[in-house]
Amino acid sequence: MSLSPLLDVRDLKVHLRLGPNVVKAIDGVDFRIMPGECVGIVGESGSGKSTMARAITRLMPNVNIAELSGELSFEGQDILAMPDGALRALRRGRGFSMIFQDPLGYLNPTQRVGRQIEEALSCDSSRGSNRNRVHTLLDEVGLPDPANVARRYPHELSGGMRQRVMIAIALASDPQLLFADEPTTALDATVQLQVLQTLYRLHKERNMAMAIITHDLGVVAELCDRVYVMRAGKVIESAETVRLFEHPQQDYSRRLIELSTRRLPRELQA
Amino acid sequence: MLRFVGRRALLAIPLLLAIIILMFSMLHLIPGDPVQALVGDYPVPPAYRQAIETKYRLNDPFLVQVGNYLANVAQGDFGFSYQNQRNVLDLILERAPRTMLLASVSFALAIPLGMAIGIAAGTSRRPGVDKFWTTTALIVYAIPTFWLGQLLVMLLALRLGWFPTQGIGPLISRTQGFAWLLEKLRYLALPVLAFGIHEGMRIARIMRASVIDTLSQGYIITARAKGLSRGRIIRSHVMRNSSLPLVTIAGYAFGSALGGAVLLETVFTWPGLGLLLVDSIRLRDNMTVIGVVIFSALAVIAMNLIVDLLYAALDPRIRTTR
Amino acid sequence: MPELKTSTAPAASSGFSIGSWQVHVANLFGTRHGALGASILLVLLLVAITAPLIAPYSPLEQTQASLAPPSSQFLFGTDNIGRDVFSLVVHGSRSSLMVGLGAALAALLIGGTLGILAGYFQGPVEAGLMRLVELFQTLPVIILVLCAVALFGSNFWLLIAAVALAIWPMEARLVYGQYIKLRDREFIAAARVADLSTAHIMFREILPNAIQPIIVQVALDASIAILIEAGLGFLGLSDPSKVSWGRLLFVAQDYMDSAWWMSLFPGAAICITVVGLNLFADGLNEVIDPRSTSGVGGLQ
Repeated sequence: MSLSPLLDVRDLKVHLRLGPNVVKAIDGVDFRIMPGECVGIVGESGSGKSTMARAITRLMPNVNIAELSGELSFEGQDILAMPDGALRALRRGRGFSMIFQDPLGYLNPTQRVGRQIEEALSCDSSRGSNRNRVHTLLDEVGLPDPANVARRYPHELSGGMRQRVMIAIALASDPQLLFADEPTTALDATVQLQVLQTLYRLHKERNMAMAIITHDLGVVAELCDRVYVMRAGKVIESAETVRLFEHPQQDYSRRLIELSTRRLPRELQA
Repeated sequence: MLRFVGRRALLAIPLLLAIIILMFSMLHLIPGDPVQALVGDYPVPPAYRQAIETKYRLNDPFLVQVGNYLANVAQGDFGFSYQNQRNVLDLILERAPRTMLLASVSFALAIPLGMAIGIAAGTSRRPGVDKFWTTTALIVYAIPTFWLGQLLVMLLALRLGWFPTQGIGPLISRTQGFAWLLEKLRYLALPVLAFGIHEGMRIARIMRASVIDTLSQGYIITARAKGLSRGRIIRSHVMRNSSLPLVTIAGYAFGSALGGAVLLETVFTWPGLGLLLVDSIRLRDNMTVIGVVIFSALAVIAMNLIVDLLYAALDPRIRTTR
Repeated sequence: MPELKTSTAPAASSGFSIGSWQVHVANLFGTRHGALGASILLVLLLVAITAPLIAPYSPLEQTQASLAPPSSQFLFGTDNIGRDVFSLVVHGSRSSLMVGLGAALAALLIGGTLGILAGYFQGPVEAGLMRLVELFQTLPVIILVLCAVALFGSNFWLLIAAVALAIWPMEARLVYGQYIKLRDREFIAAARVADLSTAHIMFREILPNAIQPIIVQVALDASIAILIEAGLGFLGLSDPSKVSWGRLLFVAQDYMDSAWWMSLFPGAAICITVVGLNLFADGLNEVIDPRSTSGVGGLQ
């Protein structure tokens, strides 16, 4: 493992203009991910954790941005200053990908799943080999009968299957870093665990760095090496997962831990 | 999916029946002699009067008359136009293809035009571009087609002499092949331009709103995350999904146009269904009026069914859920 | 999300009281489209009211010069029988605005009543009324109006009624939709629990909340009504005793090769009116739904 971070964020600020007001959604955040590392970002909804992921991946929705500043470097390249073309190249191959909370809304309802995955493949090659790669990906994310699934439309799949399709899309470009924004929140409890297991397996098998954004510290305990705790647009605590659970420095972190201990721990890493 | 369309078709039948009955009842609301109401303001020979009274059972109760009329229509008998001395159905069948030609070519212009403007305005990152097209569409759409037609005639036909002012050209033409087509196109050009621009602006407005709605969807974020280019995102994710609401409204507009682009055909003396309707109204040839109205309702209903089919083809969710 | 919620609550998100009227009007003039549209409409209204004072000639007065081009004496030229086109256009605003306003309000009355009934009483009443709406929407508006004129003649008031008859379904759909949206909301349920009368719930609780999009629709209806009236006039089927822009275009059709001014000015008047109404509706929409403009647009 190299010593330089894969992603290095310093003093990130995202201020949004909402009508007459300016909301400081992210207000000076430092953040680091090493290659192959799994990092958790926790906080209640509105704490700015999703906005941070969107800002780092430059996938902000159409909002009125009052200020977007800071240093965002991915493998030493400045993401904020990057021209559109270079950014696209980074998304298409060996860069970063993202999966979202609501896979139904984030999949195109009028296109077959296979085509949506194929579109994301890192480089275009012949049709036949593209199809094979799509099937391999579907198999890799744990979907049985890939040929059949590839022909389906999103609404014909279950929630868990859709999230696996989203993961396959994200993996299609062989990313070094995967952002997962509340990947299991919309799923049933049993399916949640399966999807998390799959994510963890892919993280290990591919030696892919992951940033998991969640309000559920249980998820973090199962997957992550380190945790950032966010509140009101700021990182209030960051520590190794074990350290945080044993010696939380902030009352807020302690409360989050207390809330989640009822469901803890399933010791996935064992 | 066939069942879905079949059910829609079944729902359309009572609608058509209701319209026919409504039209026939309206005839009876005309004050005065019912025979004259059917024939128009012409002196009618007694023998013909007799024939009309028997055919439409004018001396029977109203319900019998309606049933009788429905039976006639079902057999394709829309009555006889005394003014034109021809069967109404023959008149309609002669005029309908011309209206269809006008409407089809106009929409073939309007749909790509409107979609291009709608997409350009909706996807542009510069607010100025959106404002420009929004305002243009608003103003141009406010121009009545018949006045736009007059302006085009005065400018392009009378002043510059590029196009003929009216009509569909000589029925018996000396030209052949390509030259014949060119001649026809010269007559078609101005009405199509007026109609196409007007409908194009309507489509542009709907398309823009729909594109903006589509852009707020999550799958656009996914497409961006994939690293697709703007053009690729527009082609494979924005266009098809934004076309859904367009299909309904453009389909209805096209259906209405098939029933007779009344005002446009009047400006250019284009002898289609619309002109037939207006002439019949002026001459109080009510048999023909009712025939054309029923035909235009039929056109709208048929178009609505086609819209349903198109919708199902564009949106897989409808195919499976209904 | 404590921070976001407190700071973004819109100032006037729900409810509609007399006090907020001024706010709305102020906001309307704050939007570029709304201000422009409202100004156009105000000017037109003024012209229509003071028509005899503005017009240099009576609309029926035939001067010596027929088909005279625009000049300082005849601002918009004269028509085939020597009438001053400017005076005709000024007087024509009256019938256009009257038809627009009259038909739109009548459509609101019919459509609104039926929409309310359909929305409030569920079941067979709802189904029946919606079928009726569908029936009326099957025939193109212009054909419906033409039929009515063909059968009953083109008296001015009949014409307004015919136009209203053709456009009420749009209004009914909208009102119905608003009611469906509102009837299950909590405050309506609360009113029901409080045992308030049906009429009270309809007019005091639901109507104020549904009124804004309805006003927008009325403005759009008026523009459609004006276009239909112009169309009828253009076909020569409007009331011959009234000066109307459409009828001026009907006459102009025969003089396109010699007197462009007979077509240009009445047509432009129709356009300006319709644009005014549409801008007004746009501005109103912006006031009601500020999201539509505040966000950053386009595909990033």
